[in-house]
Amino acid sequence: MIHLDRVGVRAGEFTLDDVSLTVPTGAHAVLLGPTGSGKTTLLEAIAGHLPLLRGRIELGGVDVASVPPERRRIGVVYQHYHLFPHLSVRDNIGYGLRPAADAPPPARGRVEELAAALGLLHLLDRAPRALSGGERQRVALARALAPAPRIVLLDEPFAAADPAMRQQLRRELRALHERERFTILQVSHDFEEALRLATLVAVLADGRIVQQGTPEAVFQRPASAFVAEFLGAGNVLAGVVRRDGPEEGGRFPAVFDTGRLELAVVADREGAAHALIRPEDILVTAELLPGARNHLTAVVDRLQRAGPVTYIHMSGEHPWVAVVTAAYAESLALVPGREVALTLKATAIALL
Amino acid sequence: MRTFTITRILLALLGALLVMFIVGPLLKLLLSTSPGGILDALADPELRDSIALTGITATAATACGVALGVPLAWLLARARFPGRRVVEALVDLPVVVPHPVAGIALLLFLGRRSAVGGALAHLGLEFVSHVPGIVAAMLFVSVPIIVSGARESIAAVDPHLERVARTLGDGPWRAFRRITLPLAGRGIVAAAALGWARAVSEFGAIVILTYHPRVASVLIYDRFTTDGLGAAVPAALMLLLVALAVFGLVRALQPDDHR
Repeated sequence: MIHLDRVGVRAGEFTLDDVSLTVPTGAHAVLLGPTGSGKTTLLEAIAGHLPLLRGRIELGGVDVASVPPERRRIGVVYQHYHLFPHLSVRDNIGYGLRPAADAPPPARGRVEELAAALGLLHLLDRAPRALSGGERQRVALARALAPAPRIVLLDEPFAAADPAMRQQLRRELRALHERERFTILQVSHDFEEALRLATLVAVLADGRIVQQGTPEAVFQRPASAFVAEFLGAGNVLAGVVRRDGPEEGGRFPAVFDTGRLELAVVADREGAAHALIRPEDILVTAELLPGARNHLTAVVDRLQRAGPVTYIHMSGEHPWVAVVTAAYAESLALVPGREVALTLKATAIALL
Repeated sequence: MRTFTITRILLALLGALLVMFIVGPLLKLLLSTSPGGILDALADPELRDSIALTGITATAATACGVALGVPLAWLLARARFPGRRVVEALVDLPVVVPHPVAGIALLLFLGRRSAVGGALAHLGLEFVSHVPGIVAAMLFVSVPIIVSGARESIAAVDPHLERVARTLGDGPWRAFRRITLPLAGRGIVAAAALGWARAVSEFGAIVILTYHPRVASVLIYDRFTTDGLGAAVPAALMLLLVALAVFGLVRALQPDDHR
């Protein structure tokens, strides 16, 4: 288990402040945040490379304030691999194991075992410079896992890989995680990666954790406009909520006024707010639908095909993005410059 | 295109002049001595002893410089501490101190009448007109070369590598020994060889601190002033050959991308 309690760290001019997070044993947590939000600094502090200004870090229930990196039983994988250039793949993977002469037999076989799991057996005698990016990342992963750490810290481990390689690496990591049950804290700026791998997501912004929970909860109920925008969760509008009917069960019908657009919504408070509208909650039609309350027109800017779906990027009173099936997009004969009608369900507009 | 070619020819001619200015005198020195003269020089016991003394003292000074300089180089390359820039400047200071001035400063500092020199003499370590004086003068002038060379070599090793080694179970010293030292090793050895060559070529500081026993540079000067140019040339040639051998070693040790 990783338990961070009000952790404060300084790295140069950058300060992490009041970071609290608990990653249960065996979980795969993903720490999301934009570049410069402090993700790597936090990993460096957990690994023991940066001293704490305040707070405490517990690993496996033990306060590690005075435990040096070499005794924390942590494996670290960096985005840029950092393989030892003067050692072969075999010696890189075996670096954290005791010398072969005193090692018990299981430790001697550990290099081959991990190399087999990650498809590296044929590369064991090569030098790191002779490997491709994906192979280097596998060696870095095998090296971190060889001493059987209880915690693995992954710093954007797949960022440098192409999409197909990334998918493959994710599969291999998941298989190893299921087999060895170490606790993972992974840093990423890719929410899709979090959705695919994580059991727990934390969002870091400006040195603080602004939201944490299951990936679904964070995606469906972003705690702030920043989280919603960062996660690319859809359309985020700033405006003011005005009551438009009597309250029932803590909620009331209201109007969300952006200054350029008024939308019927269901709210639980008045005043300034952000509205989040997911791309899949926007109905795109050729003509305005009769009777719908939240309807507006927009002009198609560009279409983005992603497998069986098409993202439609539009401009009108606000920029909009909607997602429809590729077949539906084709049936509408959408082209850039074409005007379309948008309909938004009042209950699908989340106010943050 | 034509202007470009003329410019290149002009630049090449200017460069050739400078290269000839370096190569010419050394070539002249090499050609000034007949093979018989070289054999005579090799048979000269005073010159042989002098070159041996130069080699031994330069090696001792280089060993001291590496033993004390590499840890300092690691600190300067890796650690952030108050006054780091001041320490860097102080280590480089001997480069700008004229060598006779360095000799006089060392004489004042290590002479029997100074507190440090007196205390060391009490322990049996005498510098003025003794071999340790030669080592001290050589160390003084070669320290900047050894420390800055080692610092650059260590700084060129990605610090993340040591961090990875730490998480894989190495303490700081073990991580340095297993990762940084092998990767920076060639650079450190090259810096030590350059420091050694600098020590061998030292004259100004040594002649003030320890005229006797005479190292090769002092012997050459002595023969030149007492017996003339002809007597100094074979000794000068021997010292040049030693320096060229070290120069070849340094070039061989430099990383490929620096060649």
